[in-house]
Amino acid sequence: MSEKRMRNAVLTLLGLGLVAVVLYLVQASGNAKLAQVMALFAIWGIAAVSLNLINGTTGILSLGHHGFMLVGGYATALLMLPEAARARISESARSQMTPFTLGLSVESWMRAIGLPGLATPGTLWVRFLIALLIGGLLAMLFGLLVGVPSLRLKGDYLAIVTFGFGEIIRLLASTHLLGPFTNGALGYNGVPGNFGTSLWWTFGILALTVFVMTKLKFSSYGRALQAIREDEIAAEAMGVNLAYHKVFAFALSAFFAGVAGGLWVSYLAAARLDFFLFFLTFFFLVAISVGGTGSYTGVLLGTAVVVFVQQYGDPLEQPYSLHTWLALVGVIIAAVALGAAWLRRSRRLRPVWHPLLFPLLGIGVVAVLTALVGSHWAPLTGTFQAFGMRRILLAVLLVAIMVVRPEGIMGRAEFSWAWVFRERRDQPSDEERAQDAWLSNPELNREASDDEGEG
Amino acid sequence: MPWGWIIGLGLVALVIFRIYYVVHVLKARDLAFFVGAMLQSLQLGSLYALIALGYTMVYGIIRLINFAHGDVFMVGAFLAYFLFSRSPYALPWALIWAALSAWGVMFVLNLWRGSFRDPIVIGGGVVAMAGLTYALSATTVNWLLAMLLSMLITGVLGVVIDRVAYRPLRGAPRISLLITAIAMSFFLENTGLLVFTRNQTPFRPPTEWTQYLQFPVFGSTVYTTRLIFLIPLATALLVVALTLFVTRTRLGKAMRASAQDPETAQMMGVNVDRVIATTFLLGSMLAAAGGVLWGLNFGSLNQPAVMGILPGIKAFAAAVIGGIGSLPGAVIGGVLLGFLENFVTALFPRTQHFAGLTEYKDTFAFILLILVLLLRPSGIVGEDLSEKV
Repeated sequence: MSEKRMRNAVLTLLGLGLVAVVLYLVQASGNAKLAQVMALFAIWGIAAVSLNLINGTTGILSLGHHGFMLVGGYATALLMLPEAARARISESARSQMTPFTLGLSVESWMRAIGLPGLATPGTLWVRFLIALLIGGLLAMLFGLLVGVPSLRLKGDYLAIVTFGFGEIIRLLASTHLLGPFTNGALGYNGVPGNFGTSLWWTFGILALTVFVMTKLKFSSYGRALQAIREDEIAAEAMGVNLAYHKVFAFALSAFFAGVAGGLWVSYLAAARLDFFLFFLTFFFLVAISVGGTGSYTGVLLGTAVVVFVQQYGDPLEQPYSLHTWLALVGVIIAAVALGAAWLRRSRRLRPVWHPLLFPLLGIGVVAVLTALVGSHWAPLTGTFQAFGMRRILLAVLLVAIMVVRPEGIMGRAEFSWAWVFRERRDQPSDEERAQDAWLSNPELNREASDDEGEG
Repeated sequence: MPWGWIIGLGLVALVIFRIYYVVHVLKARDLAFFVGAMLQSLQLGSLYALIALGYTMVYGIIRLINFAHGDVFMVGAFLAYFLFSRSPYALPWALIWAALSAWGVMFVLNLWRGSFRDPIVIGGGVVAMAGLTYALSATTVNWLLAMLLSMLITGVLGVVIDRVAYRPLRGAPRISLLITAIAMSFFLENTGLLVFTRNQTPFRPPTEWTQYLQFPVFGSTVYTTRLIFLIPLATALLVVALTLFVTRTRLGKAMRASAQDPETAQMMGVNVDRVIATTFLLGSMLAAAGGVLWGLNFGSLNQPAVMGILPGIKAFAAAVIGGIGSLPGAVIGGVLLGFLENFVTALFPRTQHFAGLTEYKDTFAFILLILVLLLRPSGIVGEDLSEKV
């Protein structure tokens, strides 16, 4: 047993080393687009993995993750803002910030507590780490606040409440109440961007997050959370403190969401309210649902899918000529008709060709034919650029996965070395054999034989 | 319930006292302003009620918070806009949209007629095809006709959404259903950006209903528009029609039975899927009507990606306040939310030392929603829906 654990640990370390080599190669290759995509994957991965702690492991649908990210992101941005940017804000007439909030800076704190060595440009990373930590802790406070309603509510009502909290945070950030901290609708420009775009930082924190989350999942806390997901009443009967565990899940998840928010702000080198809209939570929801609710491996897989569609989906949003679009629309309509017929056949519904499918197929075919024949027809000349196609694709993907395979690609299975080596536990160990022999031996176990006799 | 009355009357007394304070002590507003705010609240509340009815009917039957309902409302408003204004669609696109919508109409009619060769199904398809091609390619159509057509197509859209996204998930966990609804909402928002427009759109059909109206009150003048008659009246008309449908027809009876207990209703011979489709049809039609009236009220439509979100979530809040699952509750909740939202800003005007509460208007709706869900999830007139062991 311990031999296998040793082997697994070594393999995991080797795998991490391989990832590090790949990261190094990506950075060395100078492919800026690829590096940027990978950094984005890591940042969204942190957020998605942390959302999975609530949505997947604990089984509470939470829709307020963008709010936690906003808290962490704005805190990090404010604490890390360079003096030049602060000077610009204090000169601006439209700014809502006060001298007190403008003075909130890790750099000046370091000077104030007599550590000028930590206020130099060379030690920026220490200050960023401190700012990330503070941002995470602030988000955690909000997580506690949002976690409390989870004690009273369940299911879809709780989901709406978390959504409401996320939106309230975002709406309040633009008002006079929080304006001095967030600079209202203007936000911050000039946040140091060399951490959110650094592969070492983002992947390092991602590895830390995944480590914490997987360790947690297989600890007694994680088992308690999963018990809550399966059946709250049974979990409570088994002695799981529902209130404590739910709020704990919210707080921990919010902490990592805040850290992800800090990296996200650094990645964009600015903090504005429209960076923290509901679409972020939606993307993470897609990642979790597609990858597999409750499986951290699946969540990373899903995040990769989402980031890939978002970052390499540009060809979908290029201008194409109108007859191409007409042909595409026709193909989609015809494909829907054919797909419906296929579904009807696989479900043995008769007639396979429902009369209503013919007109649909007809519309599609006519559209395709028109596009093919009439490419020089006046109404079909010109181009059309389909902005938002990527998001539509993600939404369709989510609906499709919920309808076809609601548990996601991975289900609840995790990646493990035992799975790689196909180690099945279908052979009982000697100890288990001995136990079985004892149970089924009527001379040793009188009760078993009695039961059999009665049956 | 005496406590409800005590709280309600106490609230009314507080509002009256505050109005007195604002008018006579702060002298920030005059009494006519509050009369105007009252009328405006009624207008806004009627709109919320129209949208909330869709939420409450769907929740009553399949226990789904139809996240996409706000976006169905958006689609209704924009459809009407493109029907009555000069449409940007060239003939082939107009034909495709018309053909798709006509097919949808046939699909919906087929649900009740049961046969594709039924003259009503074929006739409905042909009429819809002809009417929509005309409306989409004609330069202008009467806005009332556009509203009716938009209600028709949006209703069909609601049924299609139910068929494609929700019906395969009957019996699945409610959370899965909610996630699907969120995905559908996201889909509609972004498809709206693609198909309709990316900009804020003026919504000014040539009608006399938007003309200004003023009348003297308490020695001052109240300014409003003729919509103060149109919107509450249209809402009342639609609500009465809906109530008659639900209480007087066989399908309405089946609907109430399915809301009470879908399984037993099915055993009694009710086609529950058909009933749910009807629910989506009616809810979406009301949302479309609400969308058109919303456009008339504000004179412009926000861009499609954001237009449906806030009205949708506020209408959901209204449905919860009234008691989700109850039709009168949705209307009461809608009107109440309209009043609360307007009076929170009207009662706390901007003064020398205070920036006013206008910027907290949207936050207020969310806070109200959370408070109601936490403190009294069954709403004002609703039954207790808390899950029993």
